[in-house]
Amino acid sequence: MLRPLQQEPRGLLKTLRKHSPSVFVVLAILLVWQAAVSIFSIPEYVLPSPITSLGHLFIRQTDAFYNWKVQIGTTVSEVLISFAVTAAAGIILAILIAWSQWLRNLIMPFFIFVNSLPLIAIAPIILLWFGYGLFTNILIAFLVSFFPVIINTTTGLSEVDDDLIDLVRYLKASKWQIFIKIRIPNSLPYIFSGLKIASTMCVVGAIVGEFVASDRGLGYIIINSQFTMDTPPIFAALIVVSLLGVALFAVVSLAERIVMPWHQVETMAV
Amino acid sequence: MRASAVSITKSIIRFFVKHYTKLISLAAFLVLWQLVITVFGIKEFIIPSPLATFSTLFVPDIAQRYNWLLHIRTTISEVLISFVVTAATGVFVALLMTWSRALRRVITPVLTLLNSLPKIAFAPLFLIWFGYGVVPNVIIAVLIAFFPVVINTATGLNAVEEDLLDLVHYLHASKLQVFLKIRIPNSLPYIFSGFKISTTLCVVGAIVGEFVASARGLGYLLKDAQAMIDSPPMFASLILVSVFGLSLFGAISILERVAMPWQVRDEVS
Repeated sequence: MLRPLQQEPRGLLKTLRKHSPSVFVVLAILLVWQAAVSIFSIPEYVLPSPITSLGHLFIRQTDAFYNWKVQIGTTVSEVLISFAVTAAAGIILAILIAWSQWLRNLIMPFFIFVNSLPLIAIAPIILLWFGYGLFTNILIAFLVSFFPVIINTTTGLSEVDDDLIDLVRYLKASKWQIFIKIRIPNSLPYIFSGLKIASTMCVVGAIVGEFVASDRGLGYIIINSQFTMDTPPIFAALIVVSLLGVALFAVVSLAERIVMPWHQVETMAV
Repeated sequence: MRASAVSITKSIIRFFVKHYTKLISLAAFLVLWQLVITVFGIKEFIIPSPLATFSTLFVPDIAQRYNWLLHIRTTISEVLISFVVTAATGVFVALLMTWSRALRRVITPVLTLLNSLPKIAFAPLFLIWFGYGVVPNVIIAVLIAFFPVVINTATGLNAVEEDLLDLVHYLHASKLQVFLKIRIPNSLPYIFSGFKISTTLCVVGAIVGEFVASARGLGYLLKDAQAMIDSPPMFASLILVSVFGLSLFGAISILERVAMPWQVRDEVS
């Protein structure tokens, strides 16, 4: 009983120590930012101070005007839904593709090709087809984040040690067993690195969809305030968007550590 | 004169022979696309046929409506400038990080933090700060394409065999020599794979910058045509944008082969 109790704070301390430089950097940036704005008296429309920006989210008057709850709710649901769809569709389709070598050889080059295209440029066409709204932005986010997941997962399912496959074939393992016991565990690191890319791309897709056309969401606030040169809400929205991206990334990293406790994660993965 | 003409014809023939499967599948795709549109009578504003799409580019009467040259030139220059800036600053920052431990301690957490942000959301801010035009779009493109180059280059500079470093230390190699003779050549494959990732990101950055606010460029044309529900030029712009991305990617691949003739290339990136 004592053991887990001891390990818990040790793990927590380790996490803190690992992330302390980043936390320190964030605090330093906020301090320098606030100091610079106060000392050089930078006009608010050029660079609002962090206090002004953050305050924007919590002051009741501005909240009535910008309706932050609706904006944040819209973007968060777009990001979460598109991420869930991307993860599910990407992983399931990858399993289907990897099941047959023939299918994989046929489709993978096409996916790699599509992934190298600037997919986000398709956003206006999606808008043209589906009109604006939640669904369109989810679709755009899905399109830009789907390919990293399916390519990574398929690669992970296929890049298995040949000797291992030979060995279990020799032991009369079925194709199903090879999948469950070897290919899928082998693909986990690839899946998680795909999901990490997708976590950022979903935010990017949702925001760009809102940039191109929408009537709500944080991207809408950003683009609308740009027209009126109203900078504080832009910063407030950017802070929330960044937190959203970092939080989703952190959740995926946490899930990775829980699912693969044996796997050491490098900190500087793209 | 004749010799060069012959060699050009020869290399054109060689290109067709080498890539004939791809060319055939491309042609088949275009024919199928045209057939589907004609047979099912799909309306042009939903999906234009390849004929309608390409005629917006090549039929002079229609093409002059869209001022293609201006838009193409704008987007190409944004992409090229941002790529050159990205490549130069990215490699430079990675060299600094590897050269000095103190700088690495300072730069790494900043990079990790910035890398995890959805940087494209910051685009409207640059438009407020720099007005619209080529400059903010280049800055946006650099901002999103910069990190893969830095991270890849730094990884390559550090992924050096320890034994090799021990050996040259033993032989009293200077830090500069270690960089020039070992670390930099070792990092070339990593640098080029970073460059390849950033080619697409430069195109993405330039296009999104143009979406957000601009008066020219293919991103502007895409958004403008969307407002008019005029889809053939949208498809034509998408094709052009993809071709830019792929050509830049191809150019980097050629450069890679020239810079590292010894490298046996494997084509999964």
